[in-house]
Amino acid sequence: MNLEEVRPGQEVTILELVGKEDILKKVEAMGLRRGRRVSLLQKVGRNLLLKVDNSRVVISKDLARNIEVQ
Amino acid sequence: MKSITVALAGNPNVGKTSILNHLAGTSLKVGNWPGVTVEKREGKTKFWDYEIKLIDLPGVYTLEPISEDEWVAYKYITEERPDLILNVIETPNMERDLLLTVELLEHEVPMILVLNMSDEAQKLGIEINEKWLSELLGVRVLKTNGRTGEGVKAILPNIVEALSLREKPKVLKYSDKIEEILEKIREREDETKAELIKKLLEAKEFSKYREDIRRMFGKDAHEVIKDERYAKAHGLYREVVSRKALTSRDITDSLDKVLLHPLLGIPLFFFIMFLLFKVSFDFSAPLMDWVDGFIGSFLAPIVSEVIRSLGLGDWIERLFSEAVVGGVGFVLTFVPLIAVIYFLLALLEFSGYLPRVAFLMDRFMHRIGLHGKSLVPLLLGFGCNVPAIVATRTLETKRDKLLVIAMIPFMSCPARLVVFSFFAVIFFKNPAVVIFSLYIFGILVALMTAFLLRKTTFKGSLYHFVMELPPYRLPTLRLIFRVVWAYVKDFLYRAGTLIFAASVLIWFLLNLPPGVKNPSESLAAHLGRAIAPLFKPLGLDDWRMATSLIPAFLAREIVLSSMGTIYASEIERQEQEFKLSEALREQVVGLGRALKDATLNVFRPVPTAFEVEEEGTESLKSLIASSLSPASALAFMVFLLLYTSCLGTVAVMWREVGKKFALLFLVYSLLVGWTAGFILYRVGGLIWNT
Ligand SMILES: Nc1nc2c(ncn2[C@@H]2O[C@H](COP(=O)(O)OP(=O)(O)O)[C@@H](O)[C@H]2O)c(=O)[nH]1
Ligand SMILES: [Mg+2]
Repeated sequence: MNLEEVRPGQEVTILELVGKEDILKKVEAMGLRRGRRVSLLQKVGRNLLLKVDNSRVVISKDLARNIEVQ
Repeated sequence: MKSITVALAGNPNVGKTSILNHLAGTSLKVGNWPGVTVEKREGKTKFWDYEIKLIDLPGVYTLEPISEDEWVAYKYITEERPDLILNVIETPNMERDLLLTVELLEHEVPMILVLNMSDEAQKLGIEINEKWLSELLGVRVLKTNGRTGEGVKAILPNIVEALSLREKPKVLKYSDKIEEILEKIREREDETKAELIKKLLEAKEFSKYREDIRRMFGKDAHEVIKDERYAKAHGLYREVVSRKALTSRDITDSLDKVLLHPLLGIPLFFFIMFLLFKVSFDFSAPLMDWVDGFIGSFLAPIVSEVIRSLGLGDWIERLFSEAVVGGVGFVLTFVPLIAVIYFLLALLEFSGYLPRVAFLMDRFMHRIGLHGKSLVPLLLGFGCNVPAIVATRTLETKRDKLLVIAMIPFMSCPARLVVFSFFAVIFFKNPAVVIFSLYIFGILVALMTAFLLRKTTFKGSLYHFVMELPPYRLPTLRLIFRVVWAYVKDFLYRAGTLIFAASVLIWFLLNLPPGVKNPSESLAAHLGRAIAPLFKPLGLDDWRMATSLIPAFLAREIVLSSMGTIYASEIERQEQEFKLSEALREQVVGLGRALKDATLNVFRPVPTAFEVEEEGTESLKSLIASSLSPASALAFMVFLLLYTSCLGTVAVMWREVGKKFALLFLVYSLLVGWTAGFILYRVGGLIWNT
């Protein structure tokens, strides 16, 4: 499934980032990359609040759709 | 004396600026959200016989820039090559931060690693084997706390030692296959790894190698290099970081459950904003009264006495009491309000709540075509429009940037609040409601402006939302006071220069031509009458109002100082007997009482600051009350709210976007301000006259 389908409170592992957009490189550098565990803290509006390691990252759903998780 | 240039590089919000401030004694802006530093800034310090220039850079997660501030950091590191890079790392997020470290190491510039936020790491049970890290990379590793300054002292001697011993980081080794290819494209002995990689990925003549890589790895060369970097960072992390399992709960997670609650979050935000303004008014009101008395019945009599005893002449004394006390002194009474509001805004900025508002409000903002992130500069606009405009550099697209810059000037800043709080109390029974409505009105005009621009010029669609939310943090009191002091000092400085000059100018105009008896025959009155027809439709045909507006294009507070000066000549001065010791005692007791009232006020549930008091004598308030109607006072406030009468704002727009944009916007704001004032004057007239 992709990250958008994850429910709040769930913890998943990132499998892959699909797409060529520049912003995905930034998302990756912020810690959302293959093999990392992320948990979804909140869903508000078009955005997701994720926790990766000790940092909290907000990304919009249109980007979350490009992230395959398990 | 040798000079050294050191650049601070690191991810956003890891404490770079805090460390620089400790090192160089500067007070560059710090805040708990990504995007505080958006320009290259510097501080200088001396150590042994070296002059060390420290360059503060905007934070970046990777050397692949997107927004304007990220480009600044990228360009500096890749093109200017500092003597040494101070790579600041947020220890709790070491794995993420090490990617940038790896990218920086490719540039083969001497480097020192600063493991900051060591206090937070310790609380999270994270331990770093610094010695091992230092050996692996061949760089010095220091542990610091940028909040308190602990460990920062060791940085300077280490910089100097590392440079004088010509220490070089170990050259990074990627996988054998990649290294082999990189060696093949090497043309000079001294090419850095970064240069080799750039050639491999971009140069036409090496496309053959890119194809080789694709064949060998089954992926793009870009991808392969990226994977190598991440693998390196991850490997380092595995080598040096160990964590103890801790059971204590994270305070940030608990707070976020409430403050970012899908339903409660937004009401709580409005409540916090309401509290912010309520507390600023209620706490500062008694103090403002005290300052007013202190200037009027303590400082002024003393200085008058001195002027008289020196025999400097009558006109100097009048200049002093009318322009300095009446004009500048009047503006100074608002210092407590300015200080308190900046204190609270600084708390908001340091707590980490600010970027959370962007996250919360995005669901509304994006519906009207605005990016949630725009909210950070817009909120900063309530503090001061100038830095707010600069802060738009973190926005990823030009469209968002321009839209937000066109909105910021309608966010009411404390300079406007000062004017509103004065007028609202004179003319309205519910001043708090009037002021609140003015703020909302400003926001509505901003939204309307954005809407118009979106429909005409900036059509494009919305960009993705990507942002980091920092943990909640408490600032040190010292830090907060430094911020407040910086703003107060700025206000005092303006009072002493710009506002003083404007008051003196107005005073001379009031007393020219020489020998003029009645101010209404003075040059100032003629000037005012000349432009009054422009403001007549707003009900502001009194020359005294029109004249005050002329110099106010410099800064809005000047409207008050000018009015103070103009009306001062009409206020009857009461000669009181003045005994220094008694007056001094009275002031001290008064201050105590004001502080007590201020504190009590904060705990009252309803705003109290604007309970109007009757003043019997011919005061400035009563004079203004008699020369304006409530409707025209409203028109006046709205005009001043909307029209960009602030040289600083126009100048920063000019710099950030361009001359044409700045001037067009100025004209637009004048038209909008005038029109809104006109309509409100008419509507208000209907209401109050029937
Ligand atoms: N707890 C803690 N907070 C810190 C430390 N260093 C900086 N801060 C806080 O972290 C926030 C970001 O600091 P700043 O210097 O603006 O980071 P920059 O964006 O990298 O320049 C501020 O609120 C600082 O007070 C530290 O070592 N420990
Ligand atoms: Mg900074």
